[in-house]
Amino acid sequence: MKVHPAAWAALAALFAAVIGLQLLQTREQPLGLPAGVSTNLLYVRSPDFARRAALSFHALLADIYWIRTVQHYGGTKLSTGANKQYDILYPLLDLTTSLDPYFDVAYKFGSVFLAEEYPSGAGRPDQAIAILKKGLQAQPQKWEIAQELGFVYYWWLADYDNAAMWFNRAADMTKAPDWLRPLAAVTLAQGGNRTSSRTLWTEIERTADADWLRDQATFRLKQLDAMDGIDFVERIVQQYRARTGMFPTSWADLIRAGLLRGVPPDPTGTPFRLDPATGSVSLDPASSLNPLPNREHPL
Amino acid sequence: MDAIRTEALTKHYTVGFWRPRPYLALDGLTLQVGQGEVFGFLGPNGAGKTTTLKLLMQLIYPTSGRAEILGKPVGDVGVKRRIGYLPEQPYFYDYLTAEELLEYFAALFGFAAGERRRRTAALLDEVGIGAERRLPLRKFSKGMLQRVGIAQALINEPELVFLDEPMSGLDPLGRREIRQLILRLRDRGCTVFFSSHVLADAETLCSRVAILAKGRLAAEGRLSDMIAFEIRGWELVVSGLTESALKEMQEHGLVRGATRLAEGRYALELPLTPRPEETTAALVARGAALVSLTPVRDTLEDFFVRQVSGSTGSRFRETA
Amino acid sequence: MSVIGHVAVNVFKESVRDKILYNLVVFAVLLISASYLIGELTAGQDVKIIKDLGLASISIFGLLIAIFIGIGLVWKEVEKRSIYTLLAKPIRRQEFLLGKYFGLVLTLVINVAVMTAAFYLVLAYMQAETPPNIRAAWPAPATDPAMLKAVALIMLELLLVTAIALFFSTFSSPFLSAMMTMAVWVIGHFNQDLRDYGATISSPVAAALAKGVYYVVPNFAAFDVKLQVVHAQAIPLRYLLLTSLYGATYVALVLLAAAIIFSRRDFK
Repeated sequence: MKVHPAAWAALAALFAAVIGLQLLQTREQPLGLPAGVSTNLLYVRSPDFARRAALSFHALLADIYWIRTVQHYGGTKLSTGANKQYDILYPLLDLTTSLDPYFDVAYKFGSVFLAEEYPSGAGRPDQAIAILKKGLQAQPQKWEIAQELGFVYYWWLADYDNAAMWFNRAADMTKAPDWLRPLAAVTLAQGGNRTSSRTLWTEIERTADADWLRDQATFRLKQLDAMDGIDFVERIVQQYRARTGMFPTSWADLIRAGLLRGVPPDPTGTPFRLDPATGSVSLDPASSLNPLPNREHPL
Repeated sequence: MDAIRTEALTKHYTVGFWRPRPYLALDGLTLQVGQGEVFGFLGPNGAGKTTTLKLLMQLIYPTSGRAEILGKPVGDVGVKRRIGYLPEQPYFYDYLTAEELLEYFAALFGFAAGERRRRTAALLDEVGIGAERRLPLRKFSKGMLQRVGIAQALINEPELVFLDEPMSGLDPLGRREIRQLILRLRDRGCTVFFSSHVLADAETLCSRVAILAKGRLAAEGRLSDMIAFEIRGWELVVSGLTESALKEMQEHGLVRGATRLAEGRYALELPLTPRPEETTAALVARGAALVSLTPVRDTLEDFFVRQVSGSTGSRFRETA
Repeated sequence: MSVIGHVAVNVFKESVRDKILYNLVVFAVLLISASYLIGELTAGQDVKIIKDLGLASISIFGLLIAIFIGIGLVWKEVEKRSIYTLLAKPIRRQEFLLGKYFGLVLTLVINVAVMTAAFYLVLAYMQAETPPNIRAAWPAPATDPAMLKAVALIMLELLLVTAIALFFSTFSSPFLSAMMTMAVWVIGHFNQDLRDYGATISSPVAAALAKGVYYVVPNFAAFDVKLQVVHAQAIPLRYLLLTSLYGATYVALVLLAAAIIFSRRDFK
């Protein structure tokens, strides 16, 4: 039976209306929530309850919470609000890993972005450590988690003793790679040595299976290279001073003196800055490698 | 104006999921039924009778061709006010009582509450449903459901009634009641279109019939035109006939065939000539006694079988 | 009463006689026992929990009815062939469909109304039994009429789910219809995630797909204001109106689609 053409037209019109209203509706959402009430993204606060409520769908629910974790992080990071908080990053990760204790990428994500300084992360190394220790409870022989723990102590807390202890424990675990033992040794011996840092980051860059982790490692390595570069150029500045008794006023001086071939760039290609008053070299403020890790901080 | 009119009404189905093949359920049916007729729509099972009725009720749509009821194309809502339909093996809402069902249907016609009750009561009386009318339909037997079905088909006092196998599920008493009902409908001027594979019903009721076989119209017309009502022979039932007497009759060609019945009786097939009076006299002379004498005519069944076995061809068309 | 009305009343009769309404008894018993048990917990929190439980139960019971009756609405009539005699009467196919829809809507409205009444009764009891100093700490009174806004939106959600179940019922068996209706409902509830999903993944094709699904699938999450209402958060009128308009338009769309499919069907 032929359907009246008016029916098809009405169908199309209603469809368009529905989509249009949906667009309008989108702007109305989400409704404001009272302060102190965590967003309904969590649904439940207690991981225990979540595990029980999920019945046999733990893994699926873990996935959903994982998606929300990533969104929460991404949404908060990209938002332009003045007082953005990663306040539920830890609860979300806690829920995810409670529902699925083998959710490795969640642990890794937590160790990176919970510890990362605000505003790029939550700035809570303690939370990162809590999540990682929880991961070890479920998988006591997972060397990657132990290594991450060592790393958090090393990089964010400058606690070399604990860092070395965790690297050693990681080295003891099954299938641990060879470079963990020497790393533990170096960490203990030389603390904030740039070499050990470079070893760590190189290893991470090599083995990372997620883009964001690899990018993080590459970035850190470039920072280390920048710091090496700064040291190198500062030594040249000292040479100039030894020769002429004065600090160079600009790069041109150094080039004319034959000490440099051109304006020295950092690993991103942005030229370094020279301070004629003190002879110190630093990154150009516009360089994407800013801020460099503190010279007194792990190096 | 014809009550029903179809022109080259055709229905293809596609059968099969993986390699769909077209199945021709009805092939170019052209038919007219005049008002006031009792029209028999006959054919073996699977001939396409129910398909035709569904097309007329617009439960399915034709692949090609047209059909009209009371001068309007099928599906016209105004026409539906004037017709009634009883499907094959009807099913109704089993949570309703017979009364509630009829009143519900009556309400769809727009009758007021009082009128609905009146019609419901009258029809249930007419089809012979008594106190059971207050029971939910799930408690009804097949025969009772059939009666309810007929009642609901007549709730609006239609001018034209479609009955698909109206006798099915009824005992002989019930069948007779329905036959009488159909005749009453005819007397009231109602057109009755009914399909059946039971030919005896058609013989007694119909003025015109159509015979459908394998989706095609095999024959159509006045019953009397289709069957020669002349006598072909006689069937004579006698008792007290001795074997030797029988043999003698057969040798003389007075008896064509004999079947032994119970209690020493014989059913004898007599040819047209000699006249049965002579044969009877001869038998009586040999000591036999008459039980019954019946003319043998060409029946609709004979005609039917001839028509139906004559159709050939598969209704599946193989796609290239 | 028009033909649609008669069909609707018949659907309601069927649901009554199929003892669907017994679920109301289950609901009432559940709510009352829960409130008694929870009364043993810390004072103050129990009202919130009862409100959460009550609203969630109304939603779930309604949903179950909407889906499990909805999927059979058309299918049963076609399968059992009761539709043959019905369509021979002066009723159009669309009128039949709408009648079925409004019949189930009627059943749902009565169900939700009774459940809401029982709900408020329990809350009124709690309100009376709680000492005034604790009552003062509540963000909203126990019998807060603002919760009716949540109930209204729940009702709207049920209307839409019913329409979708009916839609599937016009061409699909009950099992499949139930699966598909529930799938649509689940996806619709996680609609928010679909939208955000598009922002966090790198593949543009997947992002476009997610966004497309987001716009097409009904946004059921929008009808869920239970959390806000329990925390006495104001629901702007504009939001209510817009969401209602969205819901009504979607219902019209689905019913029209169902009518189109249904009017073209052969009933074998």
